[in-house]
Amino acid sequence: MIQWLMNIDRRIIFVFVFLGVALPLLANVFLPIRPTRDVIAVYDQLEKVAQDEGVVLLSFSYGASTEPEMQPMARAILRHCFSRNIKVVAVCLWPEAPGLAQQVLEEIGDEFGKTYGVDYAFLGFKPGNFAVVLNMGQDFRDAFPQDNWGTPLEDLALMRDVRTLRDFDFVFDLAAGDSIEFWWIPYGQEKYGFPFAGGCTAVMAPDLFPFLQSGQMVGLLGGLAGAAEYETLVGRQDKATAGMSAQSMAHLIIVIFIIFGNMAFFLSRRR
Amino acid sequence: MTRDRYVFLGLVLLFAAVNGVLLANGVLAADWEGLGVIVAAGLTLALYSFLYKDNPLFKVAENIFVGVATAYIFSQNWYQTIYGEVFVRLSALGGEDSASGDWWLLAPTVLGLLMLTRFSRRFGWLSRFSFAFFVGLGAGLTIPRTISSFILAQIEPMLQPLSWSVEGFNLLVILVGVVAVLVYFFFSVEHTGVVGKVSRVGIWFLMISFGASFGYTIMARLSLLIGRVTFLLDDWLGIM
Amino acid sequence: MIFLSRTLPVIVALCFGVLGIGIYYVPHAAAQNIERELALWLRIVFAFSYLLGLYSLLNLHWQRIRQRVEGWGYSAMVYAGFGLMMLFVIYNDGQGPFAPQAEGTAAENGYQWLFEYVQVACSSTMFSILAFFIASAAYRTFRARTPEAALLLVAAIVVMLGRVPIGAYISDYVPAAADWLLNVPNLAAKRGILLGVSLGAIATSLRIIFGIERSYLGGGDE
Repeated sequence: MIQWLMNIDRRIIFVFVFLGVALPLLANVFLPIRPTRDVIAVYDQLEKVAQDEGVVLLSFSYGASTEPEMQPMARAILRHCFSRNIKVVAVCLWPEAPGLAQQVLEEIGDEFGKTYGVDYAFLGFKPGNFAVVLNMGQDFRDAFPQDNWGTPLEDLALMRDVRTLRDFDFVFDLAAGDSIEFWWIPYGQEKYGFPFAGGCTAVMAPDLFPFLQSGQMVGLLGGLAGAAEYETLVGRQDKATAGMSAQSMAHLIIVIFIIFGNMAFFLSRRR
Repeated sequence: MTRDRYVFLGLVLLFAAVNGVLLANGVLAADWEGLGVIVAAGLTLALYSFLYKDNPLFKVAENIFVGVATAYIFSQNWYQTIYGEVFVRLSALGGEDSASGDWWLLAPTVLGLLMLTRFSRRFGWLSRFSFAFFVGLGAGLTIPRTISSFILAQIEPMLQPLSWSVEGFNLLVILVGVVAVLVYFFFSVEHTGVVGKVSRVGIWFLMISFGASFGYTIMARLSLLIGRVTFLLDDWLGIM
Repeated sequence: MIFLSRTLPVIVALCFGVLGIGIYYVPHAAAQNIERELALWLRIVFAFSYLLGLYSLLNLHWQRIRQRVEGWGYSAMVYAGFGLMMLFVIYNDGQGPFAPQAEGTAAENGYQWLFEYVQVACSSTMFSILAFFIASAAYRTFRARTPEAALLLVAAIVVMLGRVPIGAYISDYVPAAADWLLNVPNLAAKRGILLGVSLGAIATSLRIIFGIERSYLGGGDE
């Protein structure tokens, strides 16, 4: 019996995982979420920008493979910005990001009745990784002379006073790779000293805690849980919050599997 | 027909039937968006069929995805940089709209084109100039910023005064942990005696860190699964 | 010829490497202008490097089709997907490829439609498959054979439960423990790794600049 349990067909495990995700979603259970310190820090920073009537630079550094984790985060941040009339400039540092960025900007922009060019602008993608951040720091218009559809930046009202990265009151990077750690911090934040925070996939989140303690990052949204916490702060529960019940159930199932597997292992060793 | 082919045919017919019902009931609109949802759901299920076993449906979906993604990434580079910056500015050279600095664009354009000689046996050596520029400049830009952002900026917060408080205790643990981990990775000295004991402490810190990373990795992958299942249940089937 | 093909590129790397270090420390406007210009050059060369990857992929699949290796039909699927997307790229909503990218949503534009309903769907599905395999691997192989492995296991479980709402239902100590684990021992280990990696990166960069490390030049007869 123990041997059978230890060598169980993995497709049975797949079924458990699928049910653990699907059933809570179908049951539409919303678990209460407690925002953590690092997420609250991002919220507070944006509130400060709102009071100063500032401009935020939102950098999209993720692709379609991490869309389920990152899009809810982008929506929550944009909802906060637009609800406080914060102006948003969006750029993309990953080639797959423009389609996703455009989608979320138009969706949330329409939701709040924002005007393109006045309340927000989308400047598209530039290849070059850290070189784009370096370029933006020196001369923003050198890096992005036009928006995503060829309109010169001079023709966009909210871009008229933006020359370098120093002109932004806050920079937020939505990252699925190492753009926070190896592009934005060394090539941007270190030299120009702007308040900087990031949202990242859960895989990368543990790597970024040193930058929180050193003050190089103001705050951090880690994975879907971070997005759900931000939705709670913004007061608008959406896909991230809905996903937390499924996340909780699936985690519990995997923990039970791990404990079960270890119990079977130790029992078989005793025999 | 083999059993697998019966299963395959059955699943395709079931998928078609389900979509027919969804269209008939108005859950899916009979427009481009509705067709898109059907295509996306079909590709999602085709890729998930790999969980049962590797099959042609999975491979077809995978390879179509590779082709579409490659073209998309190329198009972004084309519109935003190769056309948007290089072509437009170089074609205006000498004209009314050109700036004096635009002549310098010839240099990176030539370097970029030289890079493409990589595939030529005869002229492949020319691409070394492009790589030398890219790698050399990248290395030069990296050094001072690494020292500043990763070494100095990371050491400074560790060297804070300790205190008899939770904060002080945490700072002490961090200091001990960083030193222990660095000792563990220092392989020029044999890990015996005091060095061995400190290195052991480093391993404990690393294990905690890897455990945290593992936990978060599981969270990340499950989040992606939740996203796809939400799409299937909500956007496609409309039962959420 | 050896000088042109091997020595001169190393000299180029040295010059630009030293320049890259120098302009960081020189606050003069001329140095900052050079930095700005070089960043632009890097971006443009980067854009061309994508073409290398594009050629590599298409050539690989073309060879498979040409030689009729087993499964060459799948390579034809790659070309089919590529060709369909390129059709919309070139069409660009009637403007052609020598115009800025056309606006439009998935409902209006074949390009956005393919991105949203093919690329996004496939890409996120491919990565989500890992959730199943990770669960299976965790059950079958994640064993507390040694005290260190047990420590890893416990940390993983605490973080997994502490970072989701159910942790707080089990006990208030679970999220607090997860928080402490992440902000103290995890931070220490990651910082140690970061310092080590940074020192290694500096050493490698210096080796590249001084021509000791030449693997980026590639092999070849010359």
